Amino acid sequence: MENRTKNIIGKVDVPLLVLFLALVIAGLLTVYSASYSEESPQIYSLDKAYGKQLVWIIISLLIGVLILTLEGSFIRNSAYIVYGVVTIMLLIVLFMPAIKGAHSWFKIGGFTIQPSEFAKFATSLAIAHFLSTTGVKIQETKTKLIVFFLIAVPGFFILQQPDPGTLLVFFSFIFVMYREGLSGNILLGMFFALIIGVMAIFFKASEANVNIFSWVFEANYLYLFVIVLASVLIHFGITYLVMPRYRGKKYITNIIGASMALLLVFSCNYAYDNVFKDRHRDRFEVMFGLKLDRKGVGYNSYQALSAIGSGGSAGKGYFKGTLSNDKYKHVPEQSTDFIFCSWAEEWGFLGSFLLIILYTAFLIRIIMVAERQKSKFTRIFGYCAASILFFHYMINIAMVIGLAPVIGIPLPFFSKGGSAILGFSIMIFIFLRMDSERKDVLR
Amino acid sequence: MDAFQHRRWIIILTMLIVTLVFGVRLLYIQVLNNDWKNRAEQITHHKVTIHPARGLLYDRNGELLVAVNQVYDILVTPKDVKDIDTAQLCSLFGISKTEFLQKIEYASTGYNVSYKASTFIESMSKEEYSRVVPYLNSFNGFDSKRRTNRGYPSGIAAHVLGYVRKISAEQYSKDQKVGEKYYNQNDYVGITGLEKVYEKELRGERGSAFFLRDYAGNDKTNLEENYAISGQNLYTSIDINLQAYGERLMKNKLGSIVAIEPSTGEILSLISAPSFDPNKLSGREFSENYKELLNNDTLKPIINRPIYNANYRPGSIFKLVQALIAMQEGVIMQSTGFACNKSLINCHNHEHPLNVQIAIKHSCNPYFYQVYKRLIQRGEQSSIFKDSRLGIEKWNAAVKSFGLGVKLNTDIPGVKAGRIPDANYYDNEFPSKSNPYGKYRWAFSTIYSNSIGEGEIGVSPLQMANLAAIIANRGYYYTPHLVKKIGKDGSKRPEYLKKNYTMAAAKYFGPVINAMEMVVENGTARNAQVDSIIVCGKTGTVQNETFNDHSVFIAFAPKENPQIAIAVYVEYGTWGGIWAAKIASLMIEKYLAKELSENGKNKEKQVLDAIILDKHSDFK
Repeated sequence: MENRTKNIIGKVDVPLLVLFLALVIAGLLTVYSASYSEESPQIYSLDKAYGKQLVWIIISLLIGVLILTLEGSFIRNSAYIVYGVVTIMLLIVLFMPAIKGAHSWFKIGGFTIQPSEFAKFATSLAIAHFLSTTGVKIQETKTKLIVFFLIAVPGFFILQQPDPGTLLVFFSFIFVMYREGLSGNILLGMFFALIIGVMAIFFKASEANVNIFSWVFEANYLYLFVIVLASVLIHFGITYLVMPRYRGKKYITNIIGASMALLLVFSCNYAYDNVFKDRHRDRFEVMFGLKLDRKGVGYNSYQALSAIGSGGSAGKGYFKGTLSNDKYKHVPEQSTDFIFCSWAEEWGFLGSFLLIILYTAFLIRIIMVAERQKSKFTRIFGYCAASILFFHYMINIAMVIGLAPVIGIPLPFFSKGGSAILGFSIMIFIFLRMDSERKDVLR
Repeated sequence: MDAFQHRRWIIILTMLIVTLVFGVRLLYIQVLNNDWKNRAEQITHHKVTIHPARGLLYDRNGELLVAVNQVYDILVTPKDVKDIDTAQLCSLFGISKTEFLQKIEYASTGYNVSYKASTFIESMSKEEYSRVVPYLNSFNGFDSKRRTNRGYPSGIAAHVLGYVRKISAEQYSKDQKVGEKYYNQNDYVGITGLEKVYEKELRGERGSAFFLRDYAGNDKTNLEENYAISGQNLYTSIDINLQAYGERLMKNKLGSIVAIEPSTGEILSLISAPSFDPNKLSGREFSENYKELLNNDTLKPIINRPIYNANYRPGSIFKLVQALIAMQEGVIMQSTGFACNKSLINCHNHEHPLNVQIAIKHSCNPYFYQVYKRLIQRGEQSSIFKDSRLGIEKWNAAVKSFGLGVKLNTDIPGVKAGRIPDANYYDNEFPSKSNPYGKYRWAFSTIYSNSIGEGEIGVSPLQMANLAAIIANRGYYYTPHLVKKIGKDGSKRPEYLKKNYTMAAAKYFGPVINAMEMVVENGTARNAQVDSIIVCGKTGTVQNETFNDHSVFIAFAPKENPQIAIAVYVEYGTWGGIWAAKIASLMIEKYLAKELSENGKNKEKQVLDAIILDKHSDFK
């Protein structure tokens, strides 16, 4: 037994483990600084956020070591069971008393557990298991539907909590699907749809008017016209210049594409007027820089950017922050969603750049490790982990540095929260365990 | 190996692009652009001004004249005023609903803004405040601030001390444009009196502190502190007992008393009657009280008469100056006599003015008519017009050396020069600027009234007291001043340590002083006698067309080694020998003997009972 444990630890991917531990330790230190209180200065003070975070990290690492002792096949075979258990937890949690207006937590003693954090690795396990099953082909509609179903069930329950931020993360599985052979056009289409949609909302929110030959009309109508013109030009450009052999064949596709773009713009306009609430509209206006509202909706963003900017190139030094910590509290949620501010303020541009490099290296290492697998299950699971972490990283940082509207998504390993650190750790350790036996197993 | 493994590069590329965008954005907001750093500073930094304690004022014996009271201002932040019981608030502060709305309006306009606290109720006493404070928390947007206020324990010397007030908009903008840019909009400054003249010494130097504040605006960390320097205390020359006594004597009268220590020029008391309690101009009722003092009181208590009323003609007292100048210029000698020729100018019956001393004792008008004639028309020119021009210029210079007709550089604001006429004055200004006499159109016969202190001469009570000090000193004076020491170990302003010599030599003062002694002993000022002290004095009666004459008296005492020189003006007090002389002698006795004799007590009773004028007197 001892020999076997040693054997496993010897095969664990060291760069990935080191990057993971570096993020976890940096995260803990940042939580410590961000929520430091003079009454309980020790990092292990259990009544403080950092004490609890430390306990959760220790629990996570212990569970991680436990996972390393499991058989790979046992993990694979338990995938649906874990998925089922977590999904049931997601159902039950809806009947728990609301905390901060959401039914997202089980309260046990002084600790709270958030099952939606576990849903991330549970759903990954289920998708990896399903897609690696012999005979399952991603090009088939049935496969797509089943994957959609696997995501939609926990997603639906999460939306009921309500926790739209976490739900957003479930869209990250599109990267996994893409890697496994989903048509790139779908991803490209979604990308275009995002660009077109964001621009549509921008024109709508800006309420800009265009004056052409003394004919005044709203800018978003001109935008519609530009889209139609662009699709016509692209169509003729592709059909006659780039790929003459497709001539005639892609007519229908292009017309559908252009129509869908128009439909999207209309939907965005409609949603902006009729579905969005004022607070949503305000968030978009703040994000587009149409409004620098430092007291109202723009408050979070304004304070966060001030804190980050004040860090300068080299930062104020650890524990020397003056905006994003518990003493001054100028940045709201400084130890959860906005924890990046604390890091960026204390370590400056050097620190914040180092952090995004570290994060990116971590993500790329996961992909590299995933790509070296013979086991399709392990590879898909690795991609699931990378995609989920990437989504968190992308949306959280973009929000904090004012490139996206304020969406409540934590920064993995940094934001305070026990279930999150546990969930992400389990995900990474499962992946490390699966990787460590890549030479022993074929699938 | 599968067909889609190249797609890893697309995904990795996406990640790298996102990170690149983040990196560029972070580089911009953290390194390249300073906007967010400045905004962060606005959020975190809080500058606090530390106001130094204003200096106190003491009398010459260390008694407190101006003290400091703890008062409380009620502040309001209009933006935060929500859900309050207005009726309850109004009754708590004893104001009407209209006043309440006005105060809120005031706190949101001008240089007050609605999200900052402004004064709602000013200067509540400790007692008033302790009644209000238990309820203050129940009104959102209301707060209180402790502050110090000027307090006047003895309630005297209002004109000397002046008052302190919040800086006016005009003064503030003047300070910003051409001044030293020291003041802030809510600072208090000295407006009149010593508070104004010694403003810089009294105010001290403001300090400041930088704090880091938290999200709720609490100061958490002190980054930097420049300590405030307290204002310096002023040790004035005022004798608190003499000042209070003089003010008491001048009750129900209109006029001035100025008492000077001749050997130093220090002003022992400076009284302007009617006076008022300086506490009236400190605190919440300032506006009402000020309006009352300024407009509603026909006696104009706000005027500082001893320095401001410089158009009093000196009357017979001026004969002292004429005698001294004439002897110095050699136009008469001590033993020169003139006939009391009533055809020249009216006079009363008295012994023959055999010499200067007797002439002064009896205040002989024809005698000084002839003295003045010799001063003005010296016979140096054949034309009396040209001769008079030369004469008056010499005479003018000599008189001015006595501090008359010039602004005494004292430390009281608003000092006036008075007037000693010269050739130019009669050429161009008299009897009116539009129709003056003109050059060579006037001579001694035109201006002879000056000889007996009437005519075109104007002097202030301060100048008269200084004249008494000059005679006591036999020919020199220190510019009268009110501050002995600036700061506990400080000194007075250097200009007050310099002797100013008159053009009359010391030897000519003997006969004048002897005459003044006789005036009190058995002349016109017997009322000014003090048991056991030799008082030298001279009465004056300033003719007044509209009402009773003004009663004037100057004196110094004791004759040897004089301690006090005094001038008393009792307006409309008729003849100088009566009220002015009595009051002056009481002041002298009080100052030198401390206790009044039996005689003095009787005199005191007469003076206190005398109502020369009160507010309801019907006079113009």
